[in-house]
Amino acid sequence: MGNLGYLTKEGFRNLKVNKLMSVASITVLFSCLMLIGIAFMLLVNIEAFISGIESENVIMVYVDMEASDYEHIKLGNDLRSLENVAFVEEIDKETAYQEILSDLDEGLKEYLSGLNENPLPDAYRVTISNMEGFEEVVNQIKQLSGIERVYENSTLARQLEGIRNSVTYISLGMIALLLVVSLFIISNTIKVTMFSRRLEISIMKSVGATNSFIRWPFMIEGIIIGLIAGLLAFAAVWGIYEFGLSSFTAVLSSFGTGEKQINFLDYAPYLVAAFVGIGIFTAVFGSATSIRKYLKERKFVELED
Amino acid sequence: MIQFTNVSKKYDNGTHALKDINLTIDKGEFVFVVGSSGAGKSTFLKLMMREEVPSSGSITVDDIDLTKIKKRDIPKFRRRLGIVFQDFRLIPNMTVFDNVAFAMRVIGTKEKKIRRRVPYVLSLMGLNEKARNYPQELSGGEQQRVALARALANNAEIIIADEPTGNVDPQMSYEIVDLLMRLNEAGTTVIMVTHEHSLVRCFDKRVIILDKGTVVSDGGALIREAATSHINAVSEISNEYVVPPEEDYSAYAQDRQSPDYQGDSEPVEVQEDFNVTGGED
Repeated sequence: MGNLGYLTKEGFRNLKVNKLMSVASITVLFSCLMLIGIAFMLLVNIEAFISGIESENVIMVYVDMEASDYEHIKLGNDLRSLENVAFVEEIDKETAYQEILSDLDEGLKEYLSGLNENPLPDAYRVTISNMEGFEEVVNQIKQLSGIERVYENSTLARQLEGIRNSVTYISLGMIALLLVVSLFIISNTIKVTMFSRRLEISIMKSVGATNSFIRWPFMIEGIIIGLIAGLLAFAAVWGIYEFGLSSFTAVLSSFGTGEKQINFLDYAPYLVAAFVGIGIFTAVFGSATSIRKYLKERKFVELED
Repeated sequence: MIQFTNVSKKYDNGTHALKDINLTIDKGEFVFVVGSSGAGKSTFLKLMMREEVPSSGSITVDDIDLTKIKKRDIPKFRRRLGIVFQDFRLIPNMTVFDNVAFAMRVIGTKEKKIRRRVPYVLSLMGLNEKARNYPQELSGGEQQRVALARALANNAEIIIADEPTGNVDPQMSYEIVDLLMRLNEAGTTVIMVTHEHSLVRCFDKRVIILDKGTVVSDGGALIREAATSHINAVSEISNEYVVPPEEDYSAYAQDRQSPDYQGDSEPVEVQEDFNVTGGED
């Protein structure tokens, strides 16, 4: 096509012909893409968080309060003698309690120290040397006596995986629904443009313009809609992500892992590509269907008004 | 050469628009197709433009069989036709120049060629002064001349005019037919559909009269008169409106010939050397 310039100009003219419908299609497609983007960034973060805590090779073993000193020491030795254990650190309940107290404010601290009672159990922090055998070590530890509770992050990880799965399914469903809506809206927009330019189309057909020549400006109109919606959605997701990141991180760090922020810009190229791709695909597909139908049904001789 | 062989057209709704039409229009011929509404004129045109296909029979235009032509070859075929409609079909937000250029742009003509060709066809139609005007600033006759210029823009071999005088005043009607006549003299085949018997009478050309889907008359003045009176007689009996009120076009015909002609509206000034294929290099 040697007339790309002309056809593109016509495409932009189409957008202006029915501004309202163009804005409507851009908005719907934009919302759809934005939700996709937010869901995606949410999933990426959950994923990173899960793998982060899964890779933490620490198991907390709380000693039974009822256990005797002998049992307490034996447990420590048992833990040290396990295979795949790098080292075992004993955490004295007094030290742990003081640590917690030092974080609290004065009034509460005084009240609690006045009680003279320590609710914490003694604990061992077991560090694993090889992550492969993590589950096995946990199972072995659970066999030992004198244990109140074994706490390891894989439990949390499993719970998070459940959340991740529901987030994935819900967002997939919403995205599919919105894509259908976008397709519908865009194909309607193009239909309206074609109707408002039916005089020109009838002349084009009568002077022997090929169907592809007639089609192109409308395709370009669709592509522009897709492009604008895609870029807007990208900007919006970026903004929302940066804005929401602080609170999001706060929630995550309360689970006890370190700061594992996902940098938005690391994923930006994928998002831009996906947004523009989905936007253009939806727009082209939406316009193509209505154009094909129009060119098939409309004769150029009669122009009913 | 356009050839209709045993052409019939029946629409899905049961209307039998054309019945067993046989006719030949030679290259370079000027033909009026006359008939009242419902006579099958528009079906006749649609078949010729390959907008419809006949239910039976075949239509050939210069060895192209329109019943067998491939879909993707239709646009190419239509480029050989110049179609003029009763309602002009000019794009209101484009200037006269752009309206004519539009027909060339949409078939992919280069801008350079368009800039040479458009002023030329406009000058043929006596519209040089109006190139920058918008259609609504022109009279009906001028608008129809723009439409004619557009039909000529792509060097059409066959001009098909569907009631080109339907929306213009009688004098302009005469001038438009006169223009068509000059195009014809320059070698273009012209097929003009009209219901105005009186206009047709001013020109000594072949007239095909359609009535209820059949050709009731085909030929020169004498046969035509007989057929017209036949139709009028029939319409009087059946009380149908067939032939519209007569307009006396002979007055305009004489006016045109007299050198001191001074009409109400400006006469069409066209180039003396009427070469439709010019303006390209």
